[in-house]
Amino acid sequence: MELAVEAAQSRHLPDFLEQFALRATRMLDAMWGGVAVYRARETELHAMPGGSATTEGAADWLISCARDSQNDVETRAIPKEIAAGLPFLEEPGVVFFVRIAASDNERLGTLCLIRNRKTLGAEEKRLLRALASHAALSLENFQRFSQLERSKRQWVEDIDAISDYIVVHDRAWNIVRTNRSLASHLGVPPVALVGEAMSSLRQIAETGSDLPCPFCRDTQRTKEEYVAASAERIFLVSTSRTPGASDDDTRTIHVLKDITDRREAERRYRELFDSIQEGLFFATPEGRFLDVNDAMVRMLGYASREELLRADVSPHLYPVPEVRERFLRALTERGVLRNYEETLRRKDGTLLHTLQNITAVRDARGRIAQIRGLMLDVTEQKTFQSQLQRERDFNQKILNTTQSMILVLDTAGLISYANRRCYEAGYQEGELIGHRLVEWVEASHRKDFDAALETTAHGHQVENLELRVRRSDGSMGHFSISLSPMRDEQKTVNSVVVVMTDITDAALLQAKLAHSEKMATIGRLVSGVAHEVNNPLAAILGFTDLLLENPEVPGSAREDLQIILQETQRTKDIVQDLLSFARQRPVQRELVQVNSVLRQTIKLRSYDFASHGVEVIEDFEEKLAALGDSQQLQQVFLNILNNAYDAVQEAGQRGSIKIHTRRKAEMIEVAIIDNGTGITDPQRIFDPFYTTKQVGKGTGLGLSICYGIVRAHGGEIQCWNNEMGSGSTFVVRIPVATEAALSAAAREVGR
Amino acid sequence: MNEQQALWTGGPILLIEDEPSVIAFLRAALERKGYAVVNAASGAEGLQRLSNGRYAGVISDIRMPGAVNGAEVHGWIQKNRPDLRTRIILISGDTANSETQAFLAHSGTPSIEKPFRVQQLIAMVEKTFGKP
Repeated sequence: MELAVEAAQSRHLPDFLEQFALRATRMLDAMWGGVAVYRARETELHAMPGGSATTEGAADWLISCARDSQNDVETRAIPKEIAAGLPFLEEPGVVFFVRIAASDNERLGTLCLIRNRKTLGAEEKRLLRALASHAALSLENFQRFSQLERSKRQWVEDIDAISDYIVVHDRAWNIVRTNRSLASHLGVPPVALVGEAMSSLRQIAETGSDLPCPFCRDTQRTKEEYVAASAERIFLVSTSRTPGASDDDTRTIHVLKDITDRREAERRYRELFDSIQEGLFFATPEGRFLDVNDAMVRMLGYASREELLRADVSPHLYPVPEVRERFLRALTERGVLRNYEETLRRKDGTLLHTLQNITAVRDARGRIAQIRGLMLDVTEQKTFQSQLQRERDFNQKILNTTQSMILVLDTAGLISYANRRCYEAGYQEGELIGHRLVEWVEASHRKDFDAALETTAHGHQVENLELRVRRSDGSMGHFSISLSPMRDEQKTVNSVVVVMTDITDAALLQAKLAHSEKMATIGRLVSGVAHEVNNPLAAILGFTDLLLENPEVPGSAREDLQIILQETQRTKDIVQDLLSFARQRPVQRELVQVNSVLRQTIKLRSYDFASHGVEVIEDFEEKLAALGDSQQLQQVFLNILNNAYDAVQEAGQRGSIKIHTRRKAEMIEVAIIDNGTGITDPQRIFDPFYTTKQVGKGTGLGLSICYGIVRAHGGEIQCWNNEMGSGSTFVVRIPVATEAALSAAAREVGR
Repeated sequence: MNEQQALWTGGPILLIEDEPSVIAFLRAALERKGYAVVNAASGAEGLQRLSNGRYAGVISDIRMPGAVNGAEVHGWIQKNRPDLRTRIILISGDTANSETQAFLAHSGTPSIEKPFRVQQLIAMVEKTFGKP
C-alpha cells in the first residue's frame, strides 16, 4: 500500500520502477532486480539503481524471457554466456520472473530478480505475488495519471493554439491562466502572468466597469457577452463563470475575440450603404423594406429611414399590382434582374421612374426569402426622354404630313434627308439621298438654284424661289422653293433645309380664275356697250333705208348711202358677235356624241384641207357622250379648226392637224394640235378683239365666243404653244354625260 | 301666227319707245306708209293710253327704263284689251337676256330685233295690223 501510494504520487515512472526493483531485491535477498514494462510493442527494462551495468545481450535475454514467461512466477537458470554479461553475478544463479498484471489481467510488466538460491519458499512466493500486485496497482495508476497529464497538456496546447485571447482568473481577481496568444500580445511567457492581478490586463481593452477585472461586468451571471474596446482594437468578450466546490474555486474565463476588422468592415459597409447616391434596399417579397439607405429614403420622399421601414408602403409604392406580380415571377425564374425598369409612387403621390438591379435571396426550399437591390432614379432622364420623344414624334408628324417636300442638303448641295412626301410624290430614295438636288432643277434654272444655295450657305434665308423642277415621272413642274440654313453649335451653317411645293396646279388654277374673272368682266362690259350701240345703230340703219326709199335723193348720194348701209351692217355683225360672246345663251341639253360633232365639223372644211395639203389626223376614243348643244360645240370646233388651218397655212410647210379625243376622269378632252406658226400670246387669245389676223379678216371675237360656249357647257378651253417643235395646242374639256343623263336620253329615244 | 294679213281696224299705232332717235325713224317710216303714230315714252305711259284709246296696234320696245317693260305691256293687253291681243309687235334690243328669249318663244308674239331694216318692219306691221 505504501508503495502504491508512493508510486501514484511519484510523477516519474522509471524512478519508481528502479526503487521498486531495489526493494524487491532486498526483501527477497536477491543479487539484482529489475522491472520490464510493456508499452505498446516495446518493452523497457528498468534495473534497480546501480544494477544497470548489464550487457546488451543480458538485457535482451532478460526481456525476451520476461515476455515469454507464462506463469505468475517462473524460475530460469542463467546461461553462461549471459552470466558473463552480468558483472555482479559471482556464482551461477537463477532468475525469478514475476508477472505484474492489471485488474483486467492484462500484463503490464514483469519483475525480474536474480539470486543464488534457486528455490523459493511458500512465504517468499506469497511475498512476490503481493509485490507484483502492488506494482500492478501503481503501474495502473501511473498510466492513468500520465494519460491525464497528457490530455491536460494537450488541452493547454489547444488553448494556446487559439488566436482569441483567453484568460482565467479566480475570485481574488488574480490570473490563474492565460493562453499563449494573450501572453504574446503582452510580450511575456504565459507563466509570467500567472498570479498577476487582472487589472494588469487593462491595457488590452476595457469594458468600462469599476471591477478590478477589465472584462467583468456582472459577476452574478454565469455568462456574459459584450464588446470591449481600446483605442486601436475592438473585442467581443465572452465570459463564463464556473463555480467550484468552495468560493475559492470559482473561475472566471474570458475569451476575447478581436472583431476590429469585422467592425471596420461593417462600419465601412454602413458608411458606403448610407453615403451612396443610388438607392439600396433589402425587402421582403411582399414589398416591405427591411433596410434601406438614405438615398432610397430621399428618392421615395419619406422623412426618415424609420418612417419608410415602419410603414407598410407596398400598396402605395406599386401603382400597378399586376406589374409587381410580373416582376416577382421574373425574379423567381431568373434570380437576378439587371436594369429592370419599374415605376414607383413617392410618398406625395408623384411617380418615380427607377432602374433597378435586383438579386433574390432564397431559402432552403428555394423560395425567395429576401430581395436585395440597387435603385437608380431615372425620372428626369425618363421625362426628358419622353419629352424628347414627343418632340421628335411631333416633328416627324409635321415632316411626314406636310404637303410640301422637305429635304436636307449638306453645304455641297447633296441630299441627306427627304421627308415622306418626297417618296409619295414618286421619287426613289436612291435617286435622292446622296445626289445633288440641283440635278432635278431644269437646266435653265440651275444657276438660280446654285445662287440661292450659296446665299443660304452664308446664313441667309431664301424664300419662295420659283423654279421649274423635274418631277419623278419626268414632267416639269412649277415649284416654290424656300431654303433655310441650319447651324451647328458653333453657329456654322452645316446644312440647308429645302422646302419645295409643287405649285403648278395652284398657278394654273389661279391663272384660270383670273382669266374667267376677266372674261366675265369683259362680257358685262361688252353686253352693255352692244346694247347702247344698238339704238343709234337702229336709227342710222332706219334713216338710211328711208333715204334710199326717197326718190328725191340723187344717184351719187344713193351710192354713199349704200356704203353707210354696208358699214352699219358690219357694225351690226360686230355687235351681234359681241353679244353672242357675252350672252352665254342657255345650252340645249341634249346628248351629244363629241366624235360625230368633230367629224361633221372637219367635213365642213375638208375641201380646204384637201386642196391645200393639210393633213388631218383623227385619234378618237370611242363613245364619248356629253350633254350639250351640238350646234354651239360645232361652232367652237370650227373656230379652232379655222385658227389651226390659218396657222399651218401661214407657216408654209406641210400642214398637219391632229385631233385627239380622250376621256379623262369625268371630262371629255378634245385636243387640236397643229404644226403652224403658234400663238404670239396664248394668255390673251380668248380676249375679245384680240386677233393676229389682218384687219378685216375677222372680228377678233371668234375664240371669245368659243370661250363663252365652253364655259356655258361647264367646261374649259385652253391653248398653249407646243414645247417640241412648232405650232399650238387647243384643248376643250367638257363634262362627260352622267349615267342618269344617258339613260334619260335613251328613254327619250325610245319614246 | 296667221299667215294672212290682219284686217285694218283703224286708229293710230301706239309706239311705246323711249329712245328719241328710234322714235323719230319709226314715226317717219310708218307715217310714210300712211299710219298715224302715238308715242308713249315709257311702259307706264303706254298702259295709261291703252286704258281708254282706240288703236290699230301696239309697237313696244321690250327693254325700257321704268317700272313697266315690254313683256308687262304685253301681259296687260292680253288681260285688258282683248281687241289688241294679236296686234302687238315687240322690239328687242337685246336678245342676250334669257328671260326675254323665253318670253318671246313662249308668247309667239311677233318681234323684231334692233337694228332692223325699214322694209322688215313695214312688212311685219302690214301683216299684223293690216294696211290703212
